[in-house]
Amino acid sequence: MPVAIFSVFVVWPLISSFYYSFTDWNGFDPNYEFVGFENFSKIYKDRLFASAAINTVVWMAAAIVLPTGLGLFLALLIDSRVPGGAVFKSVFYLPICLSAVVVGQVWVWIYQPDWGLLNTTLSYFLSEKFNYAWLAKPESALFSVIAAWSWQQTGLSMVIYLAGLTAIPSDLTEVCELEGSSWWQKVRLVLLPLLAPATVVVIALSVINSLKGFDILFIMTEGGPFNSSDTLAMHMYNESFRKYYMGYGSAIAVVLFLVALTIVWLYFRQLKKVDEIYS
Amino acid sequence: MKSIAEPAEAPGSERPFNPWPAVVFVCLTVLAALFLAPTFGVLMSSIKSKREIAFGQLWTMPTDLFLGNYADVLSNPAVHKYLLNTFLVTAPATAASISLGVLGGYVFAKLPFRGSNLLFLALVSGMFFPPQVILIPLYRLFNSMGLIDTLWPMIIVHTAMGIPICTLLMRNFFATVPNPLRECAIIEGANEWQILVLVALPLSLPALAVLATLQFTWIWNDFLWPLIFTQSDDKRTIMLGLVFMRGQYSVAWGIQGAMSLVASLPTLIVFLFFQRYFIKGMTMGAVKG
Repeated sequence: MPVAIFSVFVVWPLISSFYYSFTDWNGFDPNYEFVGFENFSKIYKDRLFASAAINTVVWMAAAIVLPTGLGLFLALLIDSRVPGGAVFKSVFYLPICLSAVVVGQVWVWIYQPDWGLLNTTLSYFLSEKFNYAWLAKPESALFSVIAAWSWQQTGLSMVIYLAGLTAIPSDLTEVCELEGSSWWQKVRLVLLPLLAPATVVVIALSVINSLKGFDILFIMTEGGPFNSSDTLAMHMYNESFRKYYMGYGSAIAVVLFLVALTIVWLYFRQLKKVDEIYS
Repeated sequence: MKSIAEPAEAPGSERPFNPWPAVVFVCLTVLAALFLAPTFGVLMSSIKSKREIAFGQLWTMPTDLFLGNYADVLSNPAVHKYLLNTFLVTAPATAASISLGVLGGYVFAKLPFRGSNLLFLALVSGMFFPPQVILIPLYRLFNSMGLIDTLWPMIIVHTAMGIPICTLLMRNFFATVPNPLRECAIIEGANEWQILVLVALPLSLPALAVLATLQFTWIWNDFLWPLIFTQSDDKRTIMLGLVFMRGQYSVAWGIQGAMSLVASLPTLIVFLFFQRYFIKGMTMGAVKG
């Protein structure tokens, strides 16, 4: 029964997505026509699709590097038996339980040109009025949203790394201390290789979550200004539910699906390899 | 967040005086303060009057506690409606997805059949796909059923989308329930249904707690499905309501802050009480995916 419900509401729509991607359906009209690969050739020519694809790649790369790096760093610090470790853990983890809507709004305030936290702080240190409109400039909009996203996602990679660190036997780290190796040597030569499975998971999750990243963009920039922060998911929403090119939207969805499928496939393959090494 | 530099150079840990823990502590405190700043700012704004915000800064400590924003938000009938709608979606969808996950997980763990592994893999991979992939067909499906602008599509979709993670966690948990226990129950004359309800479920309360916190948080915070499936104001969930009310209170930052906090309160409470389960669930779901 669970499988049946899942099939009806997830698998079947997935198949229909492929079907609609070959039509020119507009969302209301019961009559629509088959247009073959027209939607896909439109993708090929769509300038906005190309920029959305590039933004998605940038977004993904940043979503991998920032939360993973920062999460690993925090996990290593907290794991070194610092007093109040549990409190720190909760603090860094807290943003995960906030919704994208709330996170987005908070960060819109931070970037607000006149009284936002960022510009207020910068003005204070530069001792001159600083009122750069972070979210309204095409050059900075995408990266500003990425910073907000990283703030929310770091906690997740931190906890996964912490779980990975507790699984490492403590005699290994004790040996390092006896051998007189430095902290950096310990991390680089002992901990990082042993954390490889956790890294695979963190990176895969970052990629998958970033592919889904839509809510926070919608709240903060709606893909603007001038589509400078458009991602594939955002572009798909705009084409289908703002312009009602449902057929074309389906074609974008199909591309999105194929990208996700490739990533999932790579992920399972990598996971298997890691399993083989460590079992 | 990008301003955080590399870790300070590591002093040798073999010296008698070891400054390292202190460095780590200070480092973490600074980072924690940076991390808390956004949330703290909202909290501060929500307890300031309009006048105070207009005069001074949004981000400083307030001179005195002003609760008018909360009074405004909590007396707004639209907010009541939004909260009620969200609850009416979250509660049944959480319960339904977990129940189905229990059933599925039990079958996959204890009653394997031909091809069950493959089916399980296919089900679990459903977790990884962006929802945009099935957006249009679902919209069309619910439209033809006349369910657009009701709460039903959200309940159904959240249930269906929750099945993979629930099945995964329950299967992994049921797999740890020892088989002799089940065989013993069979000898005693119990059927599978009784084993599930009387033997396996009482043992899996921790897993159920994990799933309940996870599902509750995700469904409560969701934005995309209500955005697609609702049109009229009295069907909106709280997250959608937040966005639409932002226009109404465009410069009333205090009220916006109070609204955000009221909307996040249920998940914050769940997080504070069940954070052990919550974090465990995130890691389990992730590591064993």
